[in-house]
Amino acid sequence: MFPPRRVVAGALVLALVPTLASAAEPAAGRIKIVSGSVFVVRANAVVPATAGQVLFEADTLRTGADGRVGITLNDDTRVSLGPGSEARLDQFVYAPAEGRLGLVLKIVHGFVAYVSGRIAKLSPDAVKLETPNAIVGVRGTTLALRVDAQ
Amino acid sequence: MNGCRPLVALIVAACAAGSLSACGRASVHTPARPHDTTVALLPDPDDGVVGKAVVSNGSATVELAGARASTRVQDDRAPGAVAPLSEAETQAIFGDVLAALPPRSHHFTLYFEFESDELTADSRALVPAVLRAVMDFPFPEVVVIGHTDTTGTPASNIELGLKRATMVRKLLLEAGLDGSLVEVTSHGEADLLVPTADDTFEPRNRRVEISVR
Repeated sequence: MFPPRRVVAGALVLALVPTLASAAEPAAGRIKIVSGSVFVVRANAVVPATAGQVLFEADTLRTGADGRVGITLNDDTRVSLGPGSEARLDQFVYAPAEGRLGLVLKIVHGFVAYVSGRIAKLSPDAVKLETPNAIVGVRGTTLALRVDAQ
Repeated sequence: MNGCRPLVALIVAACAAGSLSACGRASVHTPARPHDTTVALLPDPDDGVVGKAVVSNGSATVELAGARASTRVQDDRAPGAVAPLSEAETQAIFGDVLAALPPRSHHFTLYFEFESDELTADSRALVPAVLRAVMDFPFPEVVVIGHTDTTGTPASNIELGLKRATMVRKLLLEAGLDGSLVEVTSHGEADLLVPTADDTFEPRNRRVEISVR
């Protein structure tokens, strides 16, 4: 009979959950392009950004007056920061098989470009770009934002 | 002229007394730190498609639709009227940041022979193109994603998708790709190419997707 088999499968999935939760935090994406002074802020430590560097949820990117940085997240979302900018990856959850999706990018100040990836395609409401005084919801698209900058 | 002086003196005295907000240009509604956000909706840098976006704050919501549609939000006031930026304005404001966007991912989709775990000949023939695409990227990553149709349970389909993706990874490594660049994952039946009901056989959903980025 099918119902008992489904119960067994469900129990197996539940049994796996603690293992997955205790595993290392999954990478959120990677820095692809860096020019000028660019920094990653992670757990209060500020380190110079390098191309190829892996990024995680809760990382902040900060650029100097001559800095620019471009990243590709694991769902193919692309984000770049222009000079004198700061943005934090507040949330990045890309687990389609488990039905968990979320992308929240907080733009503190400066210039940010965003090209949507799979999360916006699979679940548009799961994507938010936040500035200190506005929230942008995305319907699969390219956006550019300027926040408290000239 | 002289008649104005008592009034000026009165205002100065009022300011000194602490009712500063009554004296400056600032209204009582202005937050402690002023904020100014401009949002522009741009055509996709690769295919020119223009999507949609919604800009909101506590006061109101506006929708952006159409190329370079833009709105400005000042402090906590409602988002300003939507108006398109010119191409020159877009370039002047956002040229620097847009130039820093990484290249778009390349996608390849591989399919299986009918009721088989063998890739179709057309799909096998894509392998050299995948290896060439890797060379287009700074610090490339290759993500191999297994997908299934809705036949069977979600849990068994995650397993099945992983099995298919692992097989494709092996194929890429045999063709000479550096294994350290390749990540294997499975979306099971959660990411259908062709939406179907549960327990539906659909060959187009039985696929492996390769994302090169």
